[in-house]
Amino acid sequence: MYGDLLSALPEVIGFTNFAAVVIGVIAGIVVGAMPGLSATMAISVLVPFTFGLEPLVALGMMAGIYNGAMYGGAIPAVLLRIPGTPAAVATTFDGYPMAQKGQGGLALQVAVVSSSIGGIASAFALMLLAPPLSKVTLLFGPSEVFWVAVFGLASIIFLLGGNVVKGLISACFGVFVSVIGSDPIYGSDRFTFGQLELLDGISIVILLVGLYALPPVIDLLETPLKTDGVSSSKLGTDPIWKSLPSMKGYWKTWLRGSIIGIWIGILPGAGGSMAAFMSYNEARRTSKNPQDWGEGEPEGVAASEVANNADTASALIPALTLGIPGTAVAAVMLGGLLIHGLQPGPMLFRENPTIVFGFMWQFLFGAILLVLLGGSLATNSFARLLNLPRPLLGSVIIMLMLIGVYSIHGRMFDVYLMLGFGAIGWVMDKLKFPLPPVVLGLILGAFAEENLRLALRIGRGDWTHLFSNVTSQILVALTVAVVVGPIIKRRVFDRRKKDKAA
Amino acid sequence: MLKLALNTTLAGTLALAAGAAMAQDYPDEPIEVIVGYDAGGGTDVMARTAAPFIEKYLGDGASLIVRNMPGASGQIGITEVANSDPDGYTIGTFNLPGMMARTLDREAGYDRESFTYLANVVNDPNVIVTPLNSDIDTIDKLIAEATENPGAVTVGMSSLGGDDHFMLIKLQEMTGAEFTIVPFSGSAPARTALMGGHVSMGILNISEVAEFQEELNVLGVAQAERSRFAPDLPTFREQGVDLVNGSMRGFVAPAGLPEDVEAQLLEAFNQLADDEEFMDAMAATANPVEVVTGEDFRALTSDLYDLAEGVWNETPWN
Repeated sequence: MYGDLLSALPEVIGFTNFAAVVIGVIAGIVVGAMPGLSATMAISVLVPFTFGLEPLVALGMMAGIYNGAMYGGAIPAVLLRIPGTPAAVATTFDGYPMAQKGQGGLALQVAVVSSSIGGIASAFALMLLAPPLSKVTLLFGPSEVFWVAVFGLASIIFLLGGNVVKGLISACFGVFVSVIGSDPIYGSDRFTFGQLELLDGISIVILLVGLYALPPVIDLLETPLKTDGVSSSKLGTDPIWKSLPSMKGYWKTWLRGSIIGIWIGILPGAGGSMAAFMSYNEARRTSKNPQDWGEGEPEGVAASEVANNADTASALIPALTLGIPGTAVAAVMLGGLLIHGLQPGPMLFRENPTIVFGFMWQFLFGAILLVLLGGSLATNSFARLLNLPRPLLGSVIIMLMLIGVYSIHGRMFDVYLMLGFGAIGWVMDKLKFPLPPVVLGLILGAFAEENLRLALRIGRGDWTHLFSNVTSQILVALTVAVVVGPIIKRRVFDRRKKDKAA
Repeated sequence: MLKLALNTTLAGTLALAAGAAMAQDYPDEPIEVIVGYDAGGGTDVMARTAAPFIEKYLGDGASLIVRNMPGASGQIGITEVANSDPDGYTIGTFNLPGMMARTLDREAGYDRESFTYLANVVNDPNVIVTPLNSDIDTIDKLIAEATENPGAVTVGMSSLGGDDHFMLIKLQEMTGAEFTIVPFSGSAPARTALMGGHVSMGILNISEVAEFQEELNVLGVAQAERSRFAPDLPTFREQGVDLVNGSMRGFVAPAGLPEDVEAQLLEAFNQLADDEEFMDAMAATANPVEVVTGEDFRALTSDLYDLAEGVWNETPWN
């Protein structure tokens, strides 16, 4: 089972494939460091361009960007208290106070080492868990896949945090978009208004580019960021190997954060920001000096950064084995696989072992490269990126988006569609509607519909067929737990509060 | 429809008039090959594999440029071909029975008279498979089971109105047995469901099961003779069931091609049929070849259309 893993290695070490990871990591750090630009956005913009590339080159770049961006987000989080990506919010808690105390350099070093460790742990989790899981997926017939999709939708709505009703509305919008196109069974047109271009449904890549790339770009152009320049005095410039020994006490936090991150990554719905928060809270709870947290405790940076990188590769476990992405980034990466004709699922491991296992290695190398490329020297220069003129950056991204989307099928229709989704995304952003449920709604909605109808055909119209085996029953139980759990938790919480008040 | 026919005839006449003048040096500019699917798919691979051979046989430095116009199960591309100038500088790929079935189940911007039929190149015969641990391991057992328990046999296949579907209809008409259709969104998920034992039988194409003979029971191949592609697998005819069906892919041009241009193209495709190098290249990409050119190809299309129309009138699939 793991033999293919080793035989994929030489391919990955080849010059172009390796260079792709290096470029990806650097690009990822840059993108992550730009407040407002996220890994999802960067990869969405990139996907259409990877069409002409070898699959491993394209995937290597994506793996690199994902890892790089998860760390890059820490740079402005530490220096400016502006999280570069949503996942870096928890990094600001202790990172910024450290920078105020003149330990900005140390904070970034802790961040890069922790990010790297989280990424490595996650890559190992992917390598170890995905191959055996891919064998089990033959057990997943239409009714099981239907429940996985329902579970995923429930998780993203109820576990994302924030307003559940808004999450539900976002998810419903995504599911509605999934309905556009030809009916999966009968092929009759639905909401296509006679447009042949809509018959195949709306491509996930077009939706993603519009939804995730356009609003941040409008934001870039709208609000000029005043940084007053980042003074190097805040950084502290000890070389990274000198500060490494001081970090050895964090191993518990690293271990805990990695496990949390990997688990959150596998779960559909939740993403890096939730992993970082959970890891930060757990680390503080078990700390000997919780009073120092929030005042510039390096371990807080470690806790947050290790977890937000630990969910990267693990998010691909359900994506590669079942074709069901756990996070928006994993969804974009699936888009990247599909564009190369690689259908996720058990057959992927069999028919394209070099690519799928090579991809895993690229995650590992991306994580290791993070320390080398994001090390002390480079961190200084990345910090200066914040001073790039934002309008210039914004216009470059818009241009890339337009060219990229046009080049998928070579038609303007897709470009207009993308711009339409961009407008919707911008409005949703302003009204604080979460975007990930839209993406997963589109993907999982289509899965749920098609598989429900197939399952009912297999059961010849008998609805109890949906509950007829153990896998389905477990998935139903998990879904109920996800929906009811938070409600019960809140009830108990409220009662305790009342008791205390009384 | 009448208007379309009129337009086609008109365009054809005009082109014929112009054709005489230009045909002597055909082709003197690149020929565009419109593929209605994404690059890398089966149809695209066929077009790109065949292109250099057609260039060779057309001679005179002819060049073919493949242009992908994916969408709507190939309908966007083939509509473009039907409506382009019949000057020999636009040809396109053509899939059967899909392209004909689409003229029945939706409003199409073309019909079977819209084309000059050049050559069918690939014929990928259907196969019937069952999960490895299934008791149903011969075609006779399958027919017996489906006759005794009507509807109890669930059939995994790709979408309705495709070759898999017509194959099943032929089987049903021939035996009177009844099946429950479970149409997956493609052959790959159908095959995975079969391997997991979630459906009781499946209809696939031989190129899709050739590498899976260890994991699935292949009950038979719906081809007149054993496939050169998988010679170990028996045909249905050998087993006394007269089932022949498959998925076909070829090349067409718009109707009304100048006669000499048509002749030149047909000649090139005829030579393709005997090219061993081409056969090897196609075998390497898992494409079983069966070249049928010109009038034979038109007749083949017509027959399939009639079959599809009969099915559509009796049991429309949407």
